[in-house]
Amino acid sequence: MKKLRTVVQYECVTSFKYIWIFYAVVFAVIAVISAIIFLVEGSLELVGTNCLEVNSLVYVGILGALGFKEDFRMLIQNGFTRTYIFLATLSLFGFVAGILALVDTIVGRGLHTLLPGGYDSVFGALYGYQYSPVLNWLWLFLVYLTVCCLFYLAILVINRLGKVSSLTLGIVLAMVIVLVLPVVFRFLLPGRVTEQIRRFLMGAMGFPRGGEVNLLFPILFFMAVFLLLGTASYLVIRRAELKA
Amino acid sequence: MNAVNIHNVTKRYQKVTALDHVSFTLEHGKIYGFLGRNGAGKSTLINILANRIFADEGEIFIDGLPATENMAVQEKIFCMSEADLYDTSLRVRELFRWTDRFYDSFDLERALNIAERFGLDTGKKFRALSKGYQSIFKLTVALALDVPYVVFDEPVLGLDANHRELFYELLLNNYEEHPRTIVIATHLIEEVANLIEEVVLIDHGRILLEDSVEHLLETGYCVSGISEDVEEFCRDRKVIGEDTLGGMKLAYVMGERPRTVPGRNLQITGMNLQKLFVKLTEDADRKTGGSAEKRGQKE
Repeated sequence: MKKLRTVVQYECVTSFKYIWIFYAVVFAVIAVISAIIFLVEGSLELVGTNCLEVNSLVYVGILGALGFKEDFRMLIQNGFTRTYIFLATLSLFGFVAGILALVDTIVGRGLHTLLPGGYDSVFGALYGYQYSPVLNWLWLFLVYLTVCCLFYLAILVINRLGKVSSLTLGIVLAMVIVLVLPVVFRFLLPGRVTEQIRRFLMGAMGFPRGGEVNLLFPILFFMAVFLLLGTASYLVIRRAELKA
Repeated sequence: MNAVNIHNVTKRYQKVTALDHVSFTLEHGKIYGFLGRNGAGKSTLINILANRIFADEGEIFIDGLPATENMAVQEKIFCMSEADLYDTSLRVRELFRWTDRFYDSFDLERALNIAERFGLDTGKKFRALSKGYQSIFKLTVALALDVPYVVFDEPVLGLDANHRELFYELLLNNYEEHPRTIVIATHLIEEVANLIEEVVLIDHGRILLEDSVEHLLETGYCVSGISEDVEEFCRDRKVIGEDTLGGMKLAYVMGERPRTVPGRNLQITGMNLQKLFVKLTEDADRKTGGSAEKRGQKE
């Protein structure tokens, strides 16, 4: 357990500063753009932003994708097994997702309060602001965690298959999503089935029938997706080899 | 049972067999030279030993414990690799501190002393170090760890002659203070010839030879003289190579070394480890039809 604690600490400590570098960059970009608009227009009336969480989604996506190569090499060099590396990486994802979700919840709610009608967070835009900030945080946390795991799994698969095979797989997947799925949904599947899928996805996002909102559904849905992606990632990493 | 047992290990990369049913034992408390040409399979075997890649067949046991995916062997073995596997964004002193936390047997003070002797700037980030100093960092970590088995894969890569000498000196001092099994995989055979006790020669993914340096140097010798006399002498002897110049011939022979050769004007001299290595691998190439092209497809 001591080794596991150490490797989890390594992952978290070495990633901590990058979270603040990321936020510094995001807010610096917003400040610079606002300053340019102010200089050009002479007022801040046209300045506005929404859904800053999208930046965090990009960040966790990159974290998921990069979470494998560097850390895997470093930790395998230091004698850790793939199970330990996997657990440490998941802990890192949880740690980063937790902090990002916390900051984004505070910033989202703060900006919405400070700038009435001037700022909407992703959560607020979808579900409104009447819910507890804890629910806001939990929802964001699970979304970030899921995105991290999705990209982590993708990079593990790429590492396993090699460049050519993964590129082929990527092209096939893109074609299926862009070309095949729309055709299947529009022309092949019966309307009843399409409607059921739409209802399921809406329900999973917290919008069951009747216009009501149920936040338990997206929380359970993202938990399930996270577990699925996590399990798949573990199955791939347990046979992952170090590439030259 | 204090030993590393490599049992029937095979590794294939598509059509290339990098290791072909390799079996041998690394006994405790000896310094091994792990020799082989480029693409022979040395790094593949080291990577399997270090749990970085998996064997397709066979298994490795360290002190009786399976080496694959086993945290219990973490404090038993350390493989210093030729490849740079460290977090390049961390400073040397940070990497030392993390290694100290990863391993119970890491001596941070010793690491800092060794770094100082090499002139390694511990305030620099790993990525800012030259190739030579990156090697120095890696071998410093290996020398500061008190694990029973240490593997050095091309430890002196990029090091100047002074630093290479210092490394060999530190290695021997370290071995005297903390006797353990040390494996050195290198192409600089003559530099380690006086250091290593045992040789494992790997070629085309197979163990070509496993013997003590002392015995090898006793049994390998050169015979030179007029071609006919040399050929006559070599009949029924194991000749691993020949060089011819005009009517003179130099043969490289394995076997019991005669003190004198009565009736012929032949000169018998000893063979150094590097020459022995070259001739043995050339001989194996001739027998297997191996070539430079066949090597190096995957190590």
